[in-house]
Amino acid sequence: MQKGKKRFSIAITMLTAFSLILSACGGGGGGSSASGGEGDADNPVELIWYTIGTPQKDVDTVMAEVSKYTTEKIGATVTMKMIDWGDYQQKMQVLVASGEPMDIIFTSSGGFDYVQNARKGAFMELDSLLDEHGQDLKSTINPAFLEGSKVDGHNYAIPANKELPQQEVWRFNKTLVDEYGLDISSVRTLDSLEPLLKTAKEKSPDITPFAMDKNYVPYVPYDYVIQNLPMAVKLDTTDYKIVNILETPEMKEALTTMHKYYKAGYIAPEAATTGSTGDLMNSGKWLLDRAQTQPLADNSWSASYGYPVVSTPASDPIITNNSVQGSMMAISANSEYPEKAMQFLNLLNTDATLRNMVDSGIEGTHYKKTGDNRMENLPESKNYDMPSYSLGNNMLLYLNPNDPDNKWDEFEAFNESGTNSPILSFNFDPKNVSSELAAVQNVKEQFWSSLMTGTVDPETYLPQAIEKFNQAGLEKVMAEAQSQLDAWKAENGA
Amino acid sequence: MGNFFKNLNRNKVLLFMVLPGAIWFFFFSYLPLVGTIVAFKEYRFSRQGFWASIINSDWVGWDNFKFLFSTEDAFVITRNTLLYNIAFIALGLVFSVLMAIILSELVSRKMSKIYQTGMFLPYFLSWVIVGYFVFSFLSMDRGLLNQMLGWVGMEPVQWYSDPKYWPYILVLVNLWKMVGYNSVVYLAAIMGIDRSLYEAAMIDGANKWQQIRSITIPMLTPIITIMTLLAVGRIFYADFGLFYQVPRDSGTLYSVTNVIDTYVYRGLMTTGEIGMSAAAGLYQSIVGFTLVIVANYVVRRVDKDSSLF
Amino acid sequence: MARKAKAIRDFQQITPVWNVLFNLFAGIFAFMCVFPFIFVVIISLTDESVLASEGYRLIPSKWSLGAYQYIFESGDTLLRAYGVTIAVTVIGTILSLFMISLYSYAISRRNFRYRRFFSVFAILTMLFNGGIIPTYMIVAQLLGLKNSLWALILPLAMNAFYVMILRTFYATSVPDALVESGKIDGAGEFRIFFKIIVPLSLPGLATIGLFSTLGYWNDWFNALLYIDDPNLVPLQSMLMRIETSMQFIQQNSANSNISMAALQSLPQDTARMAMVVLATLPIIFAYPFFQRYFVQGLTLGAVKE
Repeated sequence: MQKGKKRFSIAITMLTAFSLILSACGGGGGGSSASGGEGDADNPVELIWYTIGTPQKDVDTVMAEVSKYTTEKIGATVTMKMIDWGDYQQKMQVLVASGEPMDIIFTSSGGFDYVQNARKGAFMELDSLLDEHGQDLKSTINPAFLEGSKVDGHNYAIPANKELPQQEVWRFNKTLVDEYGLDISSVRTLDSLEPLLKTAKEKSPDITPFAMDKNYVPYVPYDYVIQNLPMAVKLDTTDYKIVNILETPEMKEALTTMHKYYKAGYIAPEAATTGSTGDLMNSGKWLLDRAQTQPLADNSWSASYGYPVVSTPASDPIITNNSVQGSMMAISANSEYPEKAMQFLNLLNTDATLRNMVDSGIEGTHYKKTGDNRMENLPESKNYDMPSYSLGNNMLLYLNPNDPDNKWDEFEAFNESGTNSPILSFNFDPKNVSSELAAVQNVKEQFWSSLMTGTVDPETYLPQAIEKFNQAGLEKVMAEAQSQLDAWKAENGA
Repeated sequence: MGNFFKNLNRNKVLLFMVLPGAIWFFFFSYLPLVGTIVAFKEYRFSRQGFWASIINSDWVGWDNFKFLFSTEDAFVITRNTLLYNIAFIALGLVFSVLMAIILSELVSRKMSKIYQTGMFLPYFLSWVIVGYFVFSFLSMDRGLLNQMLGWVGMEPVQWYSDPKYWPYILVLVNLWKMVGYNSVVYLAAIMGIDRSLYEAAMIDGANKWQQIRSITIPMLTPIITIMTLLAVGRIFYADFGLFYQVPRDSGTLYSVTNVIDTYVYRGLMTTGEIGMSAAAGLYQSIVGFTLVIVANYVVRRVDKDSSLF
Repeated sequence: MARKAKAIRDFQQITPVWNVLFNLFAGIFAFMCVFPFIFVVIISLTDESVLASEGYRLIPSKWSLGAYQYIFESGDTLLRAYGVTIAVTVIGTILSLFMISLYSYAISRRNFRYRRFFSVFAILTMLFNGGIIPTYMIVAQLLGLKNSLWALILPLAMNAFYVMILRTFYATSVPDALVESGKIDGAGEFRIFFKIIVPLSLPGLATIGLFSTLGYWNDWFNALLYIDDPNLVPLQSMLMRIETSMQFIQQNSANSNISMAALQSLPQDTARMAMVVLATLPIIFAYPFFQRYFVQGLTLGAVKE
């Protein structure tokens, strides 16, 4: 027995020793780490860039071209690895945890979660790198992006410069608006929709006046601590108190109105269970719905539906964590050339030539220029069709044939119009209450959609839902969030 | 020492035979074992890769386990894994044996063959494909089942977000996939029963039912026992594909679809709880292995030749 | 003699009423087993435009071959996926049969001095598994198999469970005397193995071969981990990617940037179902063959006992 034990421990020791050797040759890839100074036009270093989207045929060809440009500018070549939408989260988790060599990582609130991974140490802290190599970038993109995307006081990623605030709008099917002779200029609140819905219902009973899917939530002037969970802070708050959104008078009123609309037949009976309104949109049998807007959104909606769509604001433009963290690029904690990576991000976000090459491919092959800042896709672009939002500063992009000249000015103006949410850059750390949070999530799935779409009567169901949430531990989660928020406030002197 | 080399030399051919497999086990099973240490650490990424991360992460002793068992998760995933497997084993056994007997008694051999072929199909399909199949029935707005509910004037059901249906759905889908295969196994055993037993029974005037009860079923008992014991041994391991692909990873359903295997997977791949995930994995390994050993021991007592080791 | 046998069989038969009931019972279950596939075929042949309004119908109001046309026009993705899956399955099954059978034969031999050690060596691997990340590091970083077919083949090549099954098979159904007589004839161990043991153990090998073929054909996980190159994606993984991407879009439907960009690249409902059909077809044609072998193997085993 003694002997066996000894042998076993020898085996374990050998295994560990072997794996240490592995780590030496596996993770580091040579001992030259952290010397970001090297790499020039004659001797470029290689930057590995992981990003989201369906892998495109011509990625390597385009990156070869990109590399020529970046070699000259900053002494680095670029290798891009695309991972398909649905796989991104899972695959990045494995790649990062196993220390796969990489320099630049796409991150957002929806794919490879930014805040969580920043806290776990997946990304390099960028504060000093930004000061050293990111000055151009800092002066180019809207400062609210960098300010708003801090986690625990530090920057871990560069947000893409695009629409900054989130604004809700009422969208109208213009054909029907004209047909019924409706006036949409006075619409703003949920209540103000009533006469329009009523007319539509009377004039053509077979359409759905108020289109929505199960994700619909009436707009109330609060910012949610976690998206879609009923903890929120009022936008004009002074005491920074986290409240249960279901207990607020605004939400109660909104839900009552929703139920009134539902009973009147303005809302489809299956609203609480429909995954998407795509079919309605295709058929054009709807009068209005609510959506998030950005400048010139009406044009792109009209173009994609094939009939005119107009919109009026339903809320103020608000800058929230969610809007700031929609698309970002981080430098991997294991990057061998963090300084080069920062230089590249700096260039990508400030240099139109590079940015457009990454976005549209090679000039003359994938697109052709039709003006100073205008372009047109060529047939070959089907082999290099990239999601623009994920690749850095959008405002450097050349305009498409049907974009108006002042497209980016409109974006600038829109971004200027945004006001900060009181809890912008406060990121809740759910570690201590994760099991309660899961229970709360379950309760939410039970009650949320049917309440929010007005399918059930809030008189009876709202108190029930509140009680169920509290049973699941919502109060404990809120208390934890409150104490974190108080600490954050004290630190940031808000 | 000299003895050692002499032995090596004497066994060199057989050693050579195990060599490829042994190398495989070393690389794919033993080397990754070091990763199990993560279960006792609070994992943080480190620049130098995974092993360095492990070494640099703080020891937290049994904290990951304590945390795992202090949440409801541990209970839920253990309960789900066990209850589903028990249901699969029990119902699967009854249906498979029943089906095997039915197939063996059909007058037309040809029809029996055709039925077998049909029943055997699901066993060959991947869970990815089965997931698509199930979706064509359960899709909220397009699925066949909701249409059928519509025919009889009932409200459509949101299948993928209502946990109360899923225990039945999962059991059904599992039966659908496995019964064909298992009944073919049992059928083969029935075919192997010495025909003269039946002849003797008939001469004694036993009717068909008596024959089934007193010949077929007793003759099947050993193989039933062994197959069941082996399944019981693996009761702590769930069929990952069934619980991951078929419910389409729907978060609302986790309370009834989360099993140890999916929990370990999600901990790693989605929530990034590497330590917790490793702790759950280790928990499964230890309990599961104990059960395999016990089951094997029992099988050995029943029938030495059928035991695994 | 034949007549007599027939008479006995007839005498053994269940009554016609029960026969009808049994036929019904087995027939309905068999039909239920194939029905989902038929249904998916129907969906794939439905016109996309009527799908939106009437859902998945058993008898759609408008048929169309559009989905298949779309797939064949959208390039060689599917064909490549077929190629990858078939190559991986064939090479993988042969390799794993080779490794598993040699290993289990050696540890089934009583005169192998290290048989206990190597048995335990295999069994222990069933106890712990190191988890996904360490395995990933071995395959991708140490062995450097990323984006190669070997990354899909090697991780599934051995399986302690199969080794144990096959070892039991050898131990019980291959008599030692046979090996000894081979030795006396002057044959080497390998010769004995391939000339005597393999033919004898075909049923066992067929069973393991079937398991491992299925394992390779249905595997999507290794591709998720190790394959980035779109040219090396196997069938199941391709179907899986389409599905997870759909879900990703639904979860992020609030973010119009994502849904716009991602939706373009995804096939529509009927086309996805058509891919499912095309991915299943080879199995539909091949499995009756497997079934025969498998049943034979089982029957042989049963008779021997």
